[in-house]
Amino acid sequence: MKKKLLRSMWVILICVVATISIFVAYFRFISQRIYEDSTRQLQEIYSQVNHSFGAFVERNWGLLDGWGEYLALAGDGESGTVADFVAGEQEYWGFSQFYFLAEDGSCVTTAGEENTMGLDGALDSLFKDQENVMAGETLATGQEVTVFAVPAPAGSYRGFAYDAIAISYTNGDMANSLNVDAFSGKARCFVLHSDGRVLLSTQSGGGVFENYLVYLQAASDLDDAALARLQSSWEGGETGLLRCRIGGVDHCVLYQSVGYQDYILVSAVPQSVISEGFLSVQGITMAVLIAIFLVVVALLIFLFIARSRRQSQMAQMELQHRDLMFDALSNSVDDIFLMLDIDNQRADYLSPNVERLLGIPVQAARESLRVMEKCVLDGDRFIPREELEAIPLQGSISRECEYMHQTTGERRWYRLMVYHTGIQDVEKYIIVMSDRTEERKMNRNLQEALDAAQSANEAKSNFLSNMSHDIRTPMNAIVGFSVLLEKDADQPDKVREYTRKIKASSQHLLSLINDVLDMSKIESGKTSLNVDSFRLPELLSELNIILLPQARAKRQTLEVHVQGTPPEQLVGDKLRLNQILINLLSNAIKYTPEGGRIDFQVCELPQPSPQYAKLRFVVRDNGIGMSPEFTKRVFAPFSREINSVTNKIQGTGLGMAITKNLVDLMGGIIQVESEPGKGSTFTVELSFNLPEQDAQEQEAWLRSKVTHVLVADDDEAVCVNIREQLRDTGVDVSFVTSGGAAVEAAIQAHDRGEGFHVILLDWKMPDINGVEAARRIRERIGADVPILVLTSYDWWDIEEEARSAGIDAFMSKPFFVSSFMEVIRPLLLEAPKPIEQPQAVSDTVLQGRLFLVVEDNELNAEILTEMLRMEGASCELAVNGREAVEMFENSEPGHYDVILMDVQMPVMNGYEATRVIRTGSHPEARTIPIVAMTANTFAEDVRNALDAGMDGHLAKPIDMDAVRETVGRLLKRGSEEGGEERP
Amino acid sequence: MRTKIRRFFALLLACTATVLLSACATSGDSESQHTLTLMGKKTDLEKSYMIRLFKQYEAATGNRLEIISFEDAAYEDEAAARFERGDVPDVFLHFNNAELTRFDVPANFRYLNDETWVGELTDSAKAYCLDGDGNLLGLPFWESSVSGCYYNKTILDSLGLKAATTQAEFDMLCETLAETGYTPVCWPVDGCSWMPQFGLDPIFADDPALLEQLNRNEIGYADIPAVTAMVEWIAAAADKGWFGDDYAETGWDQIAPALASGDAVMTFIWDTWFYTDFNAKGPYTVEDFALMPVFMNTVEGGTYEGGNLNMMMVNKNSGQLETALDFLAFCADPENYNMAFEGVSTVSCFQRQTTNIQSHMVSDASASVAERERVSTAATRIVGYNAEDVMAALDSLLSKKTDVPGCVEMMGASRAQRMTQSQASAPAE
Repeated sequence: MKKKLLRSMWVILICVVATISIFVAYFRFISQRIYEDSTRQLQEIYSQVNHSFGAFVERNWGLLDGWGEYLALAGDGESGTVADFVAGEQEYWGFSQFYFLAEDGSCVTTAGEENTMGLDGALDSLFKDQENVMAGETLATGQEVTVFAVPAPAGSYRGFAYDAIAISYTNGDMANSLNVDAFSGKARCFVLHSDGRVLLSTQSGGGVFENYLVYLQAASDLDDAALARLQSSWEGGETGLLRCRIGGVDHCVLYQSVGYQDYILVSAVPQSVISEGFLSVQGITMAVLIAIFLVVVALLIFLFIARSRRQSQMAQMELQHRDLMFDALSNSVDDIFLMLDIDNQRADYLSPNVERLLGIPVQAARESLRVMEKCVLDGDRFIPREELEAIPLQGSISRECEYMHQTTGERRWYRLMVYHTGIQDVEKYIIVMSDRTEERKMNRNLQEALDAAQSANEAKSNFLSNMSHDIRTPMNAIVGFSVLLEKDADQPDKVREYTRKIKASSQHLLSLINDVLDMSKIESGKTSLNVDSFRLPELLSELNIILLPQARAKRQTLEVHVQGTPPEQLVGDKLRLNQILINLLSNAIKYTPEGGRIDFQVCELPQPSPQYAKLRFVVRDNGIGMSPEFTKRVFAPFSREINSVTNKIQGTGLGMAITKNLVDLMGGIIQVESEPGKGSTFTVELSFNLPEQDAQEQEAWLRSKVTHVLVADDDEAVCVNIREQLRDTGVDVSFVTSGGAAVEAAIQAHDRGEGFHVILLDWKMPDINGVEAARRIRERIGADVPILVLTSYDWWDIEEEARSAGIDAFMSKPFFVSSFMEVIRPLLLEAPKPIEQPQAVSDTVLQGRLFLVVEDNELNAEILTEMLRMEGASCELAVNGREAVEMFENSEPGHYDVILMDVQMPVMNGYEATRVIRTGSHPEARTIPIVAMTANTFAEDVRNALDAGMDGHLAKPIDMDAVRETVGRLLKRGSEEGGEERP
Repeated sequence: MRTKIRRFFALLLACTATVLLSACATSGDSESQHTLTLMGKKTDLEKSYMIRLFKQYEAATGNRLEIISFEDAAYEDEAAARFERGDVPDVFLHFNNAELTRFDVPANFRYLNDETWVGELTDSAKAYCLDGDGNLLGLPFWESSVSGCYYNKTILDSLGLKAATTQAEFDMLCETLAETGYTPVCWPVDGCSWMPQFGLDPIFADDPALLEQLNRNEIGYADIPAVTAMVEWIAAAADKGWFGDDYAETGWDQIAPALASGDAVMTFIWDTWFYTDFNAKGPYTVEDFALMPVFMNTVEGGTYEGGNLNMMMVNKNSGQLETALDFLAFCADPENYNMAFEGVSTVSCFQRQTTNIQSHMVSDASASVAERERVSTAATRIVGYNAEDVMAALDSLLSKKTDVPGCVEMMGASRAQRMTQSQASAPAE
């Protein structure tokens, strides 16, 4: 690059020198030619001047010659004729004075003025030699004139005798007559004697020159010899050209003889004046050449600049493209690039992704790196200056820091690679901030995965250990008592005791296996929700039925509270919800000592969307509670707090884990608060879809014409709740908090003729209970008004007493509008029905029944056959589904009461066999109760069974209580649908 | 020799007259003696010829002269104050210049046209003492000189040059001198404010009507082309180097060295300067110098300025008017003025003034002087004229602070200001 530049400079220099040399040579040549021409012109000019001057002189002398002869004839002038004549000639020719001259030099003008002339020593020439004379003369007034005199015939003028006549010109007149105007009047022209004395000057003001030789001696660079030669030339009447400096200025001195006496015409012209023409041409030429030169130079400069600019633009464009590419690149990665100036430590470049990655405006960061400091966590600095300065040239350092995004607060880890670079003595720092966050996360995840794997391995070990323990414990009991049973088979009491314990252990083992399988299925993600519409009151009622006996067995108080008016119809997985709540409530019962209290609360939470309902279920007990440590892991599998109390309580440690997983599966949350010795509170919040509003329900209330209800309950909250629930139905609720008050209110209303349409009494109230209150009301108002008892307790113990007291029906708490309507509708519209009471299934329900048992496992079939026999029932066996179908198809109607169908069988499984039976031609194909009997106990197994057309599901191992309950229910339903119960 | 004899007799006569007058004074009637009050500048009254005259007069007449003098700087104001109080002296010494208007000449002084001694005056001296109406205001009794262009004839001769007779020749002379390395004109600035007035004199001396128009403020300097022509010439001369390179730094004290050394060839000054102030050592002496007219582009043939003369004016309201007139007649007596001016270098004010010393320069140029001399007009007749003001304006011009029109404008403005001041201080009629 430098060589190229140097070569270009040399070429330019040579071109310039060559151009200047050509110019100089050209101008020298032109200058010489023009100077020579000018000199020739000068000589020609002054030859003409000399010629004019000669003609002027000859003219004057000629005039004088002519006038002399005339004047001689004209007489002495007394008459004035001469004077008039001279005046006329003077006016015509322009001379200043006319003289008559005498030989002694005296003279007289036509006006008679006398004077004297010396004619510069030429009197003798005039008078003796009879020559014409031209001479300078200073008059008495001091005026200097040039006199032209000629000999004339002797005569007299006014008595003055004369021999010559003369005329004079002032020097100004002479100059005008000569009319030398060459060289713009800048040339000095003299007529002078050969000794240098000036006769006249053609130039205005030139009269101050008295002797030009003296002047040249003083003012020129001519030495005495040169001046002597010059004077000699003048004296010789020579013509010549002399170059010298006069007054410091180069002059050309041109001289030539006038041709009269010793007069010389001398002109001195400044050389610059002679060369003026040349200078003009030179100037124009120079101007043109310079203009051309400048144009060429300007063109070259323009081309150079244009090229440079184009190159610069290209380079700039390339840089911009690179910047864009780099910006795009940096935008697509999570690395930040920064180029730092060493002097001001400002960012020359900063990738635009800094805003995305660190939340810092790019411009602000480019202006000052201080803003980067804000992002650095733990009080660290971005890159300390001293650290930068310590990096050697071409060296680098790296460091990792955690940065926080300035807008989102996100933390990211960056690795800074700082390179100290230098290009052409310009040093920069290039900093690359590589995002290490994912790497760190991955490392952390790997670590966590490793930890999890280790934990899982540990858990597996724990699980196996737990399983081993938990399975072995009941198995040990079963095996042990089986041995004892065999040994003490002849002792009935011991046999019963052993079998009871074997049964209990078996039940425990079974529940353990169920939980393990359930948990396994949930964790494997195979659990799905069976979403369907269900009624909340029904669910609560079932819970009450299931759990109330357990609580009562431990003399615990289990109360269900419904706050507000939660929707009664919900869409969700009732089975899973039931499982969750049973787990929580049964745990509460299990871990609450006898006489304790369990409160189950249901309320609706605010929900922005009308299509959803969010319910909160709270199970609160005052049981043994949990330690804070255990509370944290209560939902972990196989977690059981070990203490003196819990050790006596059987449990798998999987209940809460299953509950938590089910809640998660349903998109809800579960929380626990607990304190050892004070109890625990589990809170579950779940969202449910809401079905479309049932308009018929509203119409039912209108048709019922029930508009005024009296409620009596010592718990005012219950009263208020009932009123709130009935608000939308248009029913007006009056409530009192005691039995006495209820009686009084009912009677008063009746007496006013504004009697209540329904009276709802709590059973147990402080003063008088509900039954007694009903009795007293009936005594006064008669039997027209339905009276209901609202209770949390089983009422079959008091049913008869209640009926006699005038109670029309019972309702279990909590109160629900739909339940209320179901209870009062038959009381208002139809004849009163016997009060329904959930009846315990009869122990003899199986007695005399014939079962078609479809079981491929011979051992199971044998057990079942024996157990049915023990219940007074009998059975026929089929070993697979096909055989079962054939046996049913071939049977007489009514031959079989129930089909107990295994599911997993060879040839034809239970589901398929059921579908074949249901689609078969047997008269009872669609009515014969078919109950699944399988080890597949999950909810979807139940659902699959029902979907296949089965009517129920029994889990293996078979629990005869369950068989009785299920079969009894199916047979009852069959009898209701068929109009009569099967025999 | 004849002159010496005449001087001897004159001295003898004076001594005799003195003795007789002294005798009369001691023995004669005191009532015949008078005391004349005579007011003038202190330095003016201390001139040798004045002292001689006063002594001669007192001795010859027995009268006494009560001299009232003031310092030069305060003279005009002090005298004017006295005049305002009516305290007008019998004889008042003053130059015939613009300041004289402060003293109400028509009211206070007697015109002297009819006095017997008038014919004794030279034309130029008489012309100086006239007012605009041709009234002779006083008896000129003062040393006089001729102001013109004094040049080094030796140098010119050595260069083959001679004195200029026209403006064109003067310009050529300057140009040629400059070519040969001389400073043509010594043009000092500091303390030399008289120079411009030489150029202005012919403008107004040759055209009194123009002067009257100017003084009546009907026109200004800018309306007079010759004034502009003069300023243009000065500017051009300075530009061409005719005043030398350092004229702006030169002053009164540099004139003599410049001329004596031959650095400068010409200057505009008066002849008596060569006898009073040309004291610098150098190759050139007064003998090397000659006189030619001043050329400042205002008149083709150039000009000389006549002397500025102190006049003796007579209080026409004085109770001793006749005595005062007799005093003037005494002064105009050839015997007396020749006695007083004996040996004094001056141009003659009187026709028969013979004892004074007249320079060869003036004598040699007497024909030219006679033809071209003009009464000092600019400085004396232009109302509001102040030489320093004009010089200041020219300084601005030559230092390029203003141009020619600006310079003329400054000259006019300064003059107008002076006129206003003068009118404000003039006595009420």
